Amino acid sequence: MKDSLKNVKYIEKDKILDFIKVLQKDYTVIAPKKVKDFVLFGELKDNEEPYLDFLNSRQSPKEFYFPQTETIVEYEGIIDKRVPKFSENDMKKRIIFGIRPCDVKSTLILDKLFVNEDYIDDYYKRLRDNTLIFSFGCNNPKTTCFCASFECGPFSEEGSDAFITDIGDKFIIEGITEQGNKIIDKLPDGDGGMLKKKKEIKKNSDNVVSCIENIQKIPEKLRGMFENPVWEEISERCLGCGVCTYLCPTCHCFDIQDEMIGEDGRRVKNWDSCMFPIFTLHGSGHQPREFRFQRMRQRIMHKFNYYEENFNIIACSGCGRCVTECPVNIDVREILEKIKKL
Amino acid sequence: MSNPFSPEPARIVRKYKLTKDVKFFQIRFIDKERALSFEYRPGQFMMFSIPGTGEAPFSISSTPSRPGLLEFCIRKTGRLTEALFRLKENDEIGIRGPYGNGFPIIKMNGYHLFIIMGGLGAAPLRSLLLYTLDNRELFGRLHLLYGAKRPKDMLFKTEFFEFIEREDIECLLTVDKDDTGKWPCYKGFVNSLFQRIEDIKPDNTYACVCGPPVMYESVLNELVKLNIPKHQILMTLERRMKCGIGKCGHCAIEDIYTCIDGPIFTYWDVLHMKELI
Repeated sequence: MKDSLKNVKYIEKDKILDFIKVLQKDYTVIAPKKVKDFVLFGELKDNEEPYLDFLNSRQSPKEFYFPQTETIVEYEGIIDKRVPKFSENDMKKRIIFGIRPCDVKSTLILDKLFVNEDYIDDYYKRLRDNTLIFSFGCNNPKTTCFCASFECGPFSEEGSDAFITDIGDKFIIEGITEQGNKIIDKLPDGDGGMLKKKKEIKKNSDNVVSCIENIQKIPEKLRGMFENPVWEEISERCLGCGVCTYLCPTCHCFDIQDEMIGEDGRRVKNWDSCMFPIFTLHGSGHQPREFRFQRMRQRIMHKFNYYEENFNIIACSGCGRCVTECPVNIDVREILEKIKKL
Repeated sequence: MSNPFSPEPARIVRKYKLTKDVKFFQIRFIDKERALSFEYRPGQFMMFSIPGTGEAPFSISSTPSRPGLLEFCIRKTGRLTEALFRLKENDEIGIRGPYGNGFPIIKMNGYHLFIIMGGLGAAPLRSLLLYTLDNRELFGRLHLLYGAKRPKDMLFKTEFFEFIEREDIECLLTVDKDDTGKWPCYKGFVNSLFQRIEDIKPDNTYACVCGPPVMYESVLNELVKLNIPKHQILMTLERRMKCGIGKCGHCAIEDIYTCIDGPIFTYWDVLHMKELI
């Protein structure tokens, strides 16, 4: 990004709703909201304030590009007249407001799969092209965060249109892209003092967040490790619940199922998980990945070797959700450290 | 906007029983022009769609040298095949494809072809077999080796029996067990047929194999004994698939996807990739 485009603005914390209202004139605003005990991303309704006092949301906003359930074909009419057609819905432009840098990084990782030279997923691309990203620096990285391992970090601006920092009594918003700058143009200008404050916060976060050293060596290291007994050791306590894959912002495997209500129906893409045996079970009963360690191996290999092989980027951004939510405390960082030492 | 998942309307033209649980389907795109201009390679597959039931992939058993109709040989194993078996001639279904790499037929020109199949492995290989017979001058010698459990389990029996008489194909059919006492051909597993094959120039041979997992080991042993180069031993493998376009992750094996990088793999690939068979 060019420096000349860089534009520093600020909002008093108690004015945030006013700013959101301005945004809502032209955009649907998707922001963190408090839902019972969790923070989740969702569309802000009229007069609804974003909930910005959070470490990270329980789920990443991945579902806004790669919906958990997405219609791919619709049927209509009586049995003999089931005509497959495109599902189109006109969509207002969107802003994802308050997304953490690791989740932005994950989006950039998914872009490589869904929009590349050989293949463009028009549905995904439409949702991406229609969305601006206002990312939100992390003043308090969690102990499970390791984004610094992946050319990311608590204040990484990559992929953002504008970048928000909480400097105590106010938020500063820096325009990154032209579009981002245009949107924040009317806000009052920030000053050097505010930027200095941000710098201090950033420095502190960078010091706190954990980092797996030399992660770039992992893909090569994994290449010869398919038959290593370590996989059985790693997966010993895994329950196969699949929560790691559902909460992962880069997991992208999907299932295709039909749903019928009366004579109308649709075919949908649903998130799926390689941690489930049925994921690979053949109609004939043949099961290429019979054991849990094989499925664990597939998950780790796919993220840290196969994806890198295909798209030149590791499919992990260090958000740590698989670490915090695993019911038996399997920690991918420990797995990676173990692999490094082998 | 293009939708890679949108099936095209097609009609079941003919449907009949091949064995107890395997049926033969002739399918034609409803759009006449599409039916005649549709191109594919032997070894490729199509996704069948039945609204409300879902989708499943099936190898094409017909040859692109006979355009217009697509043929499939399908065993009843799950929800979609059950629904498909219930459909009647003239009923509509959706199809999309073709998917997969298919056989490298241009590279195979001039070579002696070994087509080796077991059981339902006849489904994808019949396409290559008929293609070779329709373009006989493009290939060298042609061997068909086919093994079924019992005489009544052999697919395309009538069609293949006729090949025994022909001079441009050496057709060896075998059954594991003859429970009729009237089986006119060989008995034993497919690998036992290799002792009847003579004068092989291994460097000038392509072997194409498809069958149940248990068949591969014994057949591969024989092919290696014949000194056929590993990259000229082709196998068609399968995986549970959903999308057919290398995105959904179900058929992933290492960094490749069976649906786009396969289903045809060389023995060389199999030796160097894990979980392939």
